[in-house]
Amino acid sequence: MSFRRKLLLVFSVSVALSVAAVAWLVQEVTRKAFEETENQRTSQLVGQFQREFNRQGEEVTRRVENIAASETVNRMGAALNGTSADSAEYFDLARSLAESHQLDFLELLDSRGMIVSSAQWAAKFGYPEPAFQILSPSAQQPAFLKLEQLQDSTALGLFTVRTSAGREHPVYVVGGRRLDKTFLSTLNVAPEMRVLLYQNRGETFSADLLVNASASSRDARAAEKLAPLVDAVRRSNQEMSTPVRWSSDRADEEIFHAIPLRGLGENRPLLGILLIGQSRRNYVQLSRRIKDAALLAGAGGIVLALFLSGWAAARVTRPIEELAGAAQSVAAGSWDTRVQVNGHDEVSQLANSFNQMTTELLAQKERLVQAERVAAWRELARRLAHELKNPLFPLQLTVENLIRARTQSPEQFEEVFRESSQTLLSELANLKGIIGRFSEFSKMPQPQLQRVNVNQVLRGVVQLFQAQLNVPGKPAIECRSETDESLGTIAADPELLHRAISNLVLNAMDAMPQGGKLTLLSRREPQKVVIEVADTGTGLTPEECARIFTPYYTNKQHGSGLGLAIVQSVVSDHGGTITVRSQPGKGTAFVIELPERPELLAEIAESRAQHAGEPVRN
Amino acid sequence: MKRTGLQWLAISVLLISALSANADTRPQYGGTLHITTSMSTSSLDPAEMPDSVGARNLVALIFDTLVIVDATGRPQSALAESWQSVAGDRGVEFHLRRNVKFHDGNPLTTEIVVSSLRKANPAWNVTAGGDVVSIESAGAIPELLQELSLSRNAIAKRDATGNPSGTGPFHIVDWQPGKRLVAAANEDYWNGRPFVDEIDIDMGRTFRDQMNALESGRADLAEVAPEQMHRAVSQRYELLRSSPIELIALKFAKEAASAQEKASRDALRLSIERQSMHNVLLQGAGQPSASLLPTWMSGYGFVFSTEPDRLRAQQLRDQIPGVPSFTLGYDNNDPLARLLAERVALNAKETGLSVQLNASATELRLVRIPLASCDPWSSLLVLNNQLGLPPIEAKAHSLDQLFASEQSMLASGRIIPLFHLPLAYAAGTNLRDWTVMPGGKLNVTGAWLKSSQP
Repeated sequence: MSFRRKLLLVFSVSVALSVAAVAWLVQEVTRKAFEETENQRTSQLVGQFQREFNRQGEEVTRRVENIAASETVNRMGAALNGTSADSAEYFDLARSLAESHQLDFLELLDSRGMIVSSAQWAAKFGYPEPAFQILSPSAQQPAFLKLEQLQDSTALGLFTVRTSAGREHPVYVVGGRRLDKTFLSTLNVAPEMRVLLYQNRGETFSADLLVNASASSRDARAAEKLAPLVDAVRRSNQEMSTPVRWSSDRADEEIFHAIPLRGLGENRPLLGILLIGQSRRNYVQLSRRIKDAALLAGAGGIVLALFLSGWAAARVTRPIEELAGAAQSVAAGSWDTRVQVNGHDEVSQLANSFNQMTTELLAQKERLVQAERVAAWRELARRLAHELKNPLFPLQLTVENLIRARTQSPEQFEEVFRESSQTLLSELANLKGIIGRFSEFSKMPQPQLQRVNVNQVLRGVVQLFQAQLNVPGKPAIECRSETDESLGTIAADPELLHRAISNLVLNAMDAMPQGGKLTLLSRREPQKVVIEVADTGTGLTPEECARIFTPYYTNKQHGSGLGLAIVQSVVSDHGGTITVRSQPGKGTAFVIELPERPELLAEIAESRAQHAGEPVRN
Repeated sequence: MKRTGLQWLAISVLLISALSANADTRPQYGGTLHITTSMSTSSLDPAEMPDSVGARNLVALIFDTLVIVDATGRPQSALAESWQSVAGDRGVEFHLRRNVKFHDGNPLTTEIVVSSLRKANPAWNVTAGGDVVSIESAGAIPELLQELSLSRNAIAKRDATGNPSGTGPFHIVDWQPGKRLVAAANEDYWNGRPFVDEIDIDMGRTFRDQMNALESGRADLAEVAPEQMHRAVSQRYELLRSSPIELIALKFAKEAASAQEKASRDALRLSIERQSMHNVLLQGAGQPSASLLPTWMSGYGFVFSTEPDRLRAQQLRDQIPGVPSFTLGYDNNDPLARLLAERVALNAKETGLSVQLNASATELRLVRIPLASCDPWSSLLVLNNQLGLPPIEAKAHSLDQLFASEQSMLASGRIIPLFHLPLAYAAGTNLRDWTVMPGGKLNVTGAWLKSSQP
């Protein structure tokens, strides 16, 4: 990963984390603030509902008081007056009074608690009211809850008992409103609230006993989710609240506040449970909006941060990239590479130092080249002196021998002269040979490139030296050829290549006086061909390896020191490289890497075609 | 001279007063008579209409029977001008009234009469010969004339699509099945054109709706529930009622399948407190009854006790393991039926029986059964037939046999009589000369509407 990308990543992550942290912080703070507000609002709404519930009770009481004080009821009381007078004519009175006073329940009881008229169960006339003993002491009490037995069911109602005035045997007026869907729907509750009533009958929770004022589809859903709350209130007989989530959507959650409704009597039985539900939809939606806004701002911030980070990273890394590019150029040999220096910061100082470094490198290179040149001249002089000294010394001895023979033994001068002349000629020939080799090295020809099959060259070399590898009386050298037959042709001079490889083979043979194994192999690598000539001979020291290609350097007694220099020259003229790999006592391997140079192959083909008068084939 | 002038003046005043008084009581033609009824029918074919007093009234407006029964229960001529027994009371020959036409203009013929009677009574052997229609049976049919006076035996001429046409005092103008019937006066009615031009009958109305319609002037004539009779009278409507002709009873669809079930039914019967229901729910209207026929019709109804016997009921209930339970059905459109059913359930509960109310229940229903006629035998036979009980074998229609037959029917346990109620109608003061027969039949053929204009 590039430095710029790393920098960009670091910048982006930092900004994203910062934005996310801020968004989370805002949301948490908002959530807590909303929850506090919600709790306060729930308390207010529950209080509002309870006041509304009490108001309904007062309304029922007012209506029942009006009935008890009505002339009709008082006339009835006067007619009955504690006797068993015919009450048939009042049979339907409760129904009409209930209708006119908008009550769901109304019973007129005589002083003994017998039902004279019943609106809710008309046929029950003449029967005693079961709860008369409980009701009569409550005659002036506020509204209370009562479970009313009907013909085919029971119903929960908000009741009041009042008596007709001024009689020794009063008429009891027991009236009330049914706590049902209609009653619940008349309660003024906040829009986001709804009221349900659970009628506490039976031992276990039953959805059928749940009265719901709302007619929305939600109400038909699994009421069983309210069962835990209902059961908890039934056990504790206390108010409590709990959230109920109707679906996986958080917005579909309601906070339910349960209020136990108790009846009259000694133990004040739990008759029902009011469930006041407050939707959290608004809160959740607002919370979501904040979250969305935070996410949007975060996403925008991240995108902006990416752009800014990219810009900043580019600005920061551009000089470093230039430095890196310059360093690569230096590594590739362009030692005169320089970078532009802008400003005075650390990167500029670095660029300045880089420029100084390349300047110094160039200077050192110059010095090194000069030093190498001097060293080469010195080596050349040494080799030349050495090479020339060997034939000069016999020449000097021969001339001195002639002079001495002339003066000391004239009679033998002729014979000495003949022998010395031969010696002089021989040494002069030797000198001439030395001068010829130097001349030859200096006149290394330029390669005449042709399409050359490297494997064929290798096979030609092996064939040339086959006889010398197994000379009788000498230790045998095993020659092994491992050629890659998939190699194609390369552009090379076959004679020079043959000569170079022959030199390497000769060197290898010289390195294995006790015999050994000579390996010639070829292989293909991307865009190049590799030739390796390896022996199992005496090997080279690292110092020898470092100087092995220096002209006139040799570690052999009779070597000219030009063999490997010629090889290197040939390889270099072909655009290739040669390296040596060796360990003392374990042999040496020379590795030649030659480029395939397909463009030259095409040129050669074209040239041949032109020479042959044939059209060019692609 | 002066004295003579005063005499003439006095005479003139008396004459004008007399003429004015006469104008108040003299029938007037014209007007539309608006009637409301609880009855609702989807067909006007007499052979297809379920028997009820309302249906009988409706049929009587459009159709005629061969004979009618008067207030004393004696048959009178209608489409049959005369009749005579033949073959030793095993048959009757009827001579049709001449020049009677159906509403579609076709004359009344013996073939149409035979076709109509055969449709209503497939078992009868009805034949036509000249202007004589003969009805014969394998045995004696002493109640044939009463039978022929029933609305289902009204003579109807049916066209190709089955629509009936009658010879009655009114012909159909607009018929909305189950909702409304508008009938216009039959100008060629053999018994004289009715006074009112048109009758508009609003059907399927509750008693309360009918009372409201009467009070608001939307109806001239309405049915009155027994418990509303006091109210109608107090509001100065003209109230006419029949004899207690409608039987209210608990009717079992099937016979008791076991002795336990029989005991349960007996326990239920003995637990019912009729008197309180009569006093309160019926507001004293009608009569509590444990018999099928009302006392005024049979003469022995008081023999059957209407008092509850809770002790005996409890004993019977104790013989039955578990809690005997019944599901009692009733007419959901009849508030009185609902109240009576509730009270029956309450009474039963005191005895330890369980009676659940379900309006659509069919096994046990609280029913109103209009007795077929004022003739006890005819009513009992029809009732027996309605209950699906074995035919009554009576050689002679004596009172002893009547009593025995009724006892036998009650012993079947298929029916528990509760009350006999009269049918009552109330009309505004502008409707004159309308009558109600003892059997509950409403007669508006001779009724007329007093115009509000002088």
